[in-house]
Amino acid sequence: MPIQHLDPLASSLFGLLAILSLLLAFVMLGSRWLKNYLYAFAAESWAIALLSAAIAYYGHYPELYLVAALTLLFRGLILPYLVWRIIQRLDVAREVRIILQPSSAMVIGAFFVMFALSVSYRIASDFHLELTIAVLALTVMLSMKLIGFLMLAVRHEAISQVLGLLVLENGIFLGSQILVPGMPLLIELVVLFDLLIVVACFGVLVRYLQAHVGTTSSLDLKRLTG
Amino acid sequence: MSAGILIAILLAAPALAGFAAILVRSPRAAEALNLAASLVSFLCALPLPFLVASAGETFLGGYVAVDRAAAWVVLCTSIVYLLASIYAVGYMRLLGEDRRLHWFYALFAGFGLTTLAGPFMNNVGIYWIAIELTTLVSTFLVAFEHAAESMEAAWKYIMVVSAGISLALLGTVLFYWGGSFVLGPTYDMTWAALGGAAPKMNHAVVTLAYLLVLVGYGTKVGLAPMHSWLPDAHSESPAPVSAMLSGALLNTAMFGIFRFLGIAKAAGLGAFPELALVAFGTLSLLVGALFIVRQQGIKRLMAYSSIEHMGVVALGFGFGGPLGIAGALYHMLNHSLNKSLMFFGAGNVMRAYGTKEIGRIRGVLRHFPAQGLLWLAGAVAITGAPPFGLFLSELTIMRAGLKPSFAWAVYVMAALLIVIFIGFLNHFRAMYWDAEAAGDAPSRKTSAWSAVPMWLALAPLLVLGLWWPADLWSYLASVAQSMLPGVS
Amino acid sequence: MTRDILLQIAQVLTVLLLAPLIQGIIVQFEERVQRGQGPGIFQPYRDLWKLFHKELVLPETASWLFLVAPFVAFTCMLTVPILIPVLTNFPLPLSDMGDILGGGLILTLGSFMIVLAGLDTASAYGGIGSSRAVMVLILAEPTLILVFVGITLLAKAMLPFVVNHLLVASWAVYWSPAHLFLVAAFFILLLVETDRMPIHSSTHIEVYMIEEGRVLEYSGPLLALLKWASAMKQFILYTIFCNVLILPWGLSIQGTALGAAGAALGLVVKFTLVACVVAFVETAQSRLRFYRYQEPLAASFLFAVLSIVGTQLS
Repeated sequence: MPIQHLDPLASSLFGLLAILSLLLAFVMLGSRWLKNYLYAFAAESWAIALLSAAIAYYGHYPELYLVAALTLLFRGLILPYLVWRIIQRLDVAREVRIILQPSSAMVIGAFFVMFALSVSYRIASDFHLELTIAVLALTVMLSMKLIGFLMLAVRHEAISQVLGLLVLENGIFLGSQILVPGMPLLIELVVLFDLLIVVACFGVLVRYLQAHVGTTSSLDLKRLTG
Repeated sequence: MSAGILIAILLAAPALAGFAAILVRSPRAAEALNLAASLVSFLCALPLPFLVASAGETFLGGYVAVDRAAAWVVLCTSIVYLLASIYAVGYMRLLGEDRRLHWFYALFAGFGLTTLAGPFMNNVGIYWIAIELTTLVSTFLVAFEHAAESMEAAWKYIMVVSAGISLALLGTVLFYWGGSFVLGPTYDMTWAALGGAAPKMNHAVVTLAYLLVLVGYGTKVGLAPMHSWLPDAHSESPAPVSAMLSGALLNTAMFGIFRFLGIAKAAGLGAFPELALVAFGTLSLLVGALFIVRQQGIKRLMAYSSIEHMGVVALGFGFGGPLGIAGALYHMLNHSLNKSLMFFGAGNVMRAYGTKEIGRIRGVLRHFPAQGLLWLAGAVAITGAPPFGLFLSELTIMRAGLKPSFAWAVYVMAALLIVIFIGFLNHFRAMYWDAEAAGDAPSRKTSAWSAVPMWLALAPLLVLGLWWPADLWSYLASVAQSMLPGVS
Repeated sequence: MTRDILLQIAQVLTVLLLAPLIQGIIVQFEERVQRGQGPGIFQPYRDLWKLFHKELVLPETASWLFLVAPFVAFTCMLTVPILIPVLTNFPLPLSDMGDILGGGLILTLGSFMIVLAGLDTASAYGGIGSSRAVMVLILAEPTLILVFVGITLLAKAMLPFVVNHLLVASWAVYWSPAHLFLVAAFFILLLVETDRMPIHSSTHIEVYMIEEGRVLEYSGPLLALLKWASAMKQFILYTIFCNVLILPWGLSIQGTALGAAGAALGLVVKFTLVACVVAFVETAQSRLRFYRYQEPLAASFLFAVLSIVGTQLS
């Protein structure tokens, strides 16, 4: 990607949208109510779709418009709707037993961002180029990964874990839009559809969990040890 | 018949069987369809290694590629698929779930399809999607019995493995990014393209991406410390599914690590990629050994043994060179055969005794003389004793490791293999020759469907242990020269 | 030269004289929003006048610290306006006495002395107020330092005047994520340090009072000094918030008397705007449980970190 030739307005727009997505990931970390978690995820998907469209406009990649539209549709509307339906069917509204306080999780998330920044700096400096937008993309991608893993670790509700997985995927998608917008369309589309299938499978599994184990909280899944 | 047609039939058979099983509701028909599909796949996979040229061929506009390594892995997979399908006929009838059985066989055929398709995918991104699909399909197979433990196992499986392979996706994207500086912003990310671009790629990016891919696909393989899902998933699923998971799926994921190892070596990172792999392998051996010694569940015992053997395969790839890679590939085949045998035996014993705990299974030899001897032979084999095939492959790997940089790993490996030998066979000694308590008598006899696949697994194992022809040796060693299709 | 010195004195006097007015405006506005009458915006002046004419009563258990603390706090609050842009946007003679971090140090010194004074009389309410104040301080100070670091990294200089110039000169920097996150972080800190919701309610009735608990034993002129000092602290924080971060316009560029007066008027206008937002935030929220004070502060810490990340990337 001709990163070197970005004009400043485009660069700051990308920066704003990327950091907005990261901020929404933190909102997810700090929220107790599952619906808030979900809305933040939907907003984050919208921000990433906007970013995709912006890259399509400034980088002259017309196929990315399609990717942006599909992202908006799938990650921004259909996936949250599916998860919302799962939440409706279960009787959980929030995480009742808290493993890690949301504020502590946010502080740990901040440290992850600093770590991701240092790693991205190291990689970008190896290129001997001042690719600040690339550093931003790498930072946001790696920190969303780490935050997603944190969410998977400290949240015990099944829905929260599903959303954590989706945040992981969102992070990769965000990074790939900025770093490698020329990636073949086929791969991006198939990953998108794959995500849909994943969430559908999760829906079925969560229903099974509720029916056969009686709870969707992973704190109660303790039968298999050793 | 050219390789392309064979591959097409190989993949089409399970696909058709899966669809047909959904449409035809009868369980017997579903069984037969699955069995037929697995037989067809096996017959197509068997000549494939001989038909493929050493540099590999590509089909379908470059989306499907087959070289010697891929053909070998697919052969292992199709053998397990066939054996598991035969076994499943008898086993699943005992479950009493006839109404849902056609779904099982549809999913089973789908599982076979995705596992067989994985190694053929030339595009790295599509390979990732194939692995993801195997996860999705096998989750429902693991959860098939609808018990609370199965649900827990399925949930852990899909969570941990999906999180892990998302790391692998990140690594793939980073590889693409690194390659885009060499090959331009848009290019087809095939193994060969990445391998060709690797020497010019930035070292930091390749290191980071390789580590991510190693951890990501390593989760799928079950290398420690990413193995936490494996004992649960492999122990709670029905026995034929466990055999497929252990024997086929782990190999397919390991194949991805093998390809990325080739790319990392082409990038010229020194000894680092192999060191990482050796470290993971040693850790897996350690974890396997520790948990085998004090194990209480019969199928969890087998699952930890899978972790251990995948650690040995990782060690083989890590040690490198013709010896190491040949040994690792040979180990894949032997492990597939042996682990299927062990899971079939475990499944039989579980059905007969009605329990999964080793402590409640006693007097196997007295109640089941023929099958008991088969299973015992399998146990002796899987701990690496001669005259079976695993002994040969493990010895090859150890010989490959005796270079100064990795000698420590060989000593650790040897020590841990001895520990596993003692621990594993101790459990079997208890099951076979310890005194029976009053209520431990088995209730059911097992059918021929359960016994035949065990014979079919043991015979090649014995043969492979006693006879390793020079052609096979040179075939496997040639893979070490060309780890990526189209790049030699 | 003399004009600069006069301006410097004028800055300190502005803070001194206008601080109660801002306090009055905020209280009045809040009461109006909550559909009350309000005491009038000049009420704090009347309160101070009344207190200065009351008798000073000292508890028996008080030590020298009790007498010294109000003076130290008052003096600190008088010192800080020398360092920050209050009326002018160019540095005045003594402005490089301390940079942003120095200003933060002096502010905290004042609060610290009042905390000690609360503990000094060994009364229960003083102890509670001081310990709670210290807990909030422990959570807020690192974030404040990080915000200052962010400001420094934004302008690549440690003087607040440079930041002011940068924000006025360049729209790109003003709208950059680094600046916006700093604004958000500092706003939360503003609420915390001036004892607004959701940290604390400003009424005297509650036993949970942090601000009032510390000064419960004071009376007469010393109490007047303490009240004045806390009003000045609020003024100073608002000044930093407006003149350095969010509304850096309206400062006198050349330093004429008319410009200074206009700048003072501009200060009142800007602070009224911020006060509106603060009053709205206060009215819209209820007080958080004590153990949840970490949450807005963690969010503030987070914003500060994100803004520092933003400064590295642009």
